[in-house]
Amino acid sequence: MELLGHLAQGFVAAATPVNLLMCLLGVVLGQIIGVLPGIGPSAAIALLLPLTYGASPTSAIIMFAGLYYGAQYGGTLTSVLINVPGESTSVMTTLDGYQMALQGRGGVALGIAAIGSFIAGCLGTVGLMLLAPPLAKVALAFGPPEYFALVLLGLMALAAVGGSVLKGLATGVAGLLLGTIGIDPQVGAPRFDFGQLWLLDGVDFIILAVALFGVGEVLASCRMGSANPILNVGRVLPNREEWRQARMAILRGSGIGFLIGILPAAGATIASFVGYIAEKKMAKDPSRFGKGAIEGVAGPESANNAASAGAMVPMFALGVPGSNTTAVMLAALIMFGLRPGPDMFTTNAALVWAVIASMFIGNLILLVMNLPLAGLFARLLQIRYSWIYPPILAICVTGVVSRANNVEDAWLMLGFGVLGWLMKRYDWSAAPMILGLVLGPIFENSLRQSLTLSHGSFAIFVTRPIAAVLLALALIAVTAPLWTRLFRAKPV
Amino acid sequence: MPNRPAPGEVLLALLFATLGILWIVAAARMPLWAGFVPQSGFMPLWYGIILVALAAAILANLFLRRDPGQKEEPIGKPLVVLAALAASIVGLDLIGFAPSIFLLLLVLFAAVERLPIVRSLIVAAAATAVLFLIFRTWLRVPLPVGPLGI
Repeated sequence: MELLGHLAQGFVAAATPVNLLMCLLGVVLGQIIGVLPGIGPSAAIALLLPLTYGASPTSAIIMFAGLYYGAQYGGTLTSVLINVPGESTSVMTTLDGYQMALQGRGGVALGIAAIGSFIAGCLGTVGLMLLAPPLAKVALAFGPPEYFALVLLGLMALAAVGGSVLKGLATGVAGLLLGTIGIDPQVGAPRFDFGQLWLLDGVDFIILAVALFGVGEVLASCRMGSANPILNVGRVLPNREEWRQARMAILRGSGIGFLIGILPAAGATIASFVGYIAEKKMAKDPSRFGKGAIEGVAGPESANNAASAGAMVPMFALGVPGSNTTAVMLAALIMFGLRPGPDMFTTNAALVWAVIASMFIGNLILLVMNLPLAGLFARLLQIRYSWIYPPILAICVTGVVSRANNVEDAWLMLGFGVLGWLMKRYDWSAAPMILGLVLGPIFENSLRQSLTLSHGSFAIFVTRPIAAVLLALALIAVTAPLWTRLFRAKPV
Repeated sequence: MPNRPAPGEVLLALLFATLGILWIVAAARMPLWAGFVPQSGFMPLWYGIILVALAAAILANLFLRRDPGQKEEPIGKPLVVLAALAASIVGLDLIGFAPSIFLLLLVLFAAVERLPIVRSLIVAAAATAVLFLIFRTWLRVPLPVGPLGI
């Protein structure tokens, strides 16, 4: 009953005209971003941050959350109609979605993806509602050693999901290192400012996020030129037989996606892979997969949407991001002066419940928008990237300069942009660097406070059970690829 | 026989290693420990050491791996785009925000992408106007001003 009361209050807050407008703006932008090449939800949120300086944190986070799950809907269009996944989370959808489009059933693929995403998004939000508050209650017992271990777990887990653990760890540590620029919060002494006054405030995460996700992404993608030829959308609503084939896939995808989403840093991409594999394994005739099986669209599409709700469980309850996009959202919460983590459910309950309620509203808007307007959104695919990236660069410059009317920030953005370009080119994950920069001060302070408590003994991190478990999980996360390789190498 | 790594990725790993060394050198000059508590230099020193170790491991991996690795792509166009972006940042102080952003967009549309000039002019002017209206007029954010007052 208490939950329903909170949710009702959340709906009251989310249904104000401003918040409804932000929700609509978020899901529409997310849908567009999911369709357009060369810009993902993490970059879009980073670019929009300067616009939300004066806004209320609740409205801003409602918009960012809408953008996040809206992008999952949008990514489907490109997968189905041009065989190019708009987001990494839609890779699996290309396998059967594009085949369906070639058979003249592209609209049905988009329709079932929209219906599945809606059901999964709502079920995932219910899961978020049920799981996050008790998890946060447990986490209220956290002291400095547990926070230290938690930040370490977040960084390790995020580093582990990229292409290479070593590269992910290196970018994460580089982020922590950049986080030490400026005034040392404990003793008030300047560090690593290299005699530059403007570095005394440290490197703002917006500059780094805009540079890595915006400028870096553009430099890596600006060689893409032409628009894509697209297939016809046609009928959107599935018939009875198609619905019968897809309904269980939607439910299974929702469960799988949510569970994978809540694992720190596992994210929607892995969820969609597992969702697809599960459907293929469960199918009576697996040979239909890859040839236009509707379950091959319904399963992964439901999984990726449920995962984006699941990824918000660790973000809100523990302050650990469940994906790259939630890493940027977490940084945004910190920018608004909030401390993501267990305290959120007590000190900022109104915000959390408004965001949760807005997710139900946003998913409904997306369903309504996607069924009749799929053909209209498909036209966005005809815009050439040549028209898209120059305005993205203009927004990057404007966003960064507007932060403090400081042109030095733009030069810093340019430098980090080159770094982001190289990182993108060679598959070095950027998200751990952002997270390292944002969580660096909490990480350092937690270590100092823990050692003060233990009179300088590092044993405090292994003698406190929660901290020890979190550290063990961090170790497992970072060594998981190694174990997987060892097991694979073993002859069966 | 190990493959030759991409020079760009070697450069990237060396960049991270240099960053780590810079931090080690600077942190070593700071107080590291007092009583029970680490001081200003402690964490940065360890970050530097770990970053150098990770960069070295990545470099070793790059030189020893047997798979073909990543193919180098032409970098001409990204460098031109980067130069245009740098020029627009220089222009912020010299000619002001709006003219600088307008020229950036126009150069990228018309010169780099060779899109139709009239359409490029219209889109560049419209995008600049939208950004100006949002940030300067609506959000009242101070932006660099040039001789034209915009």
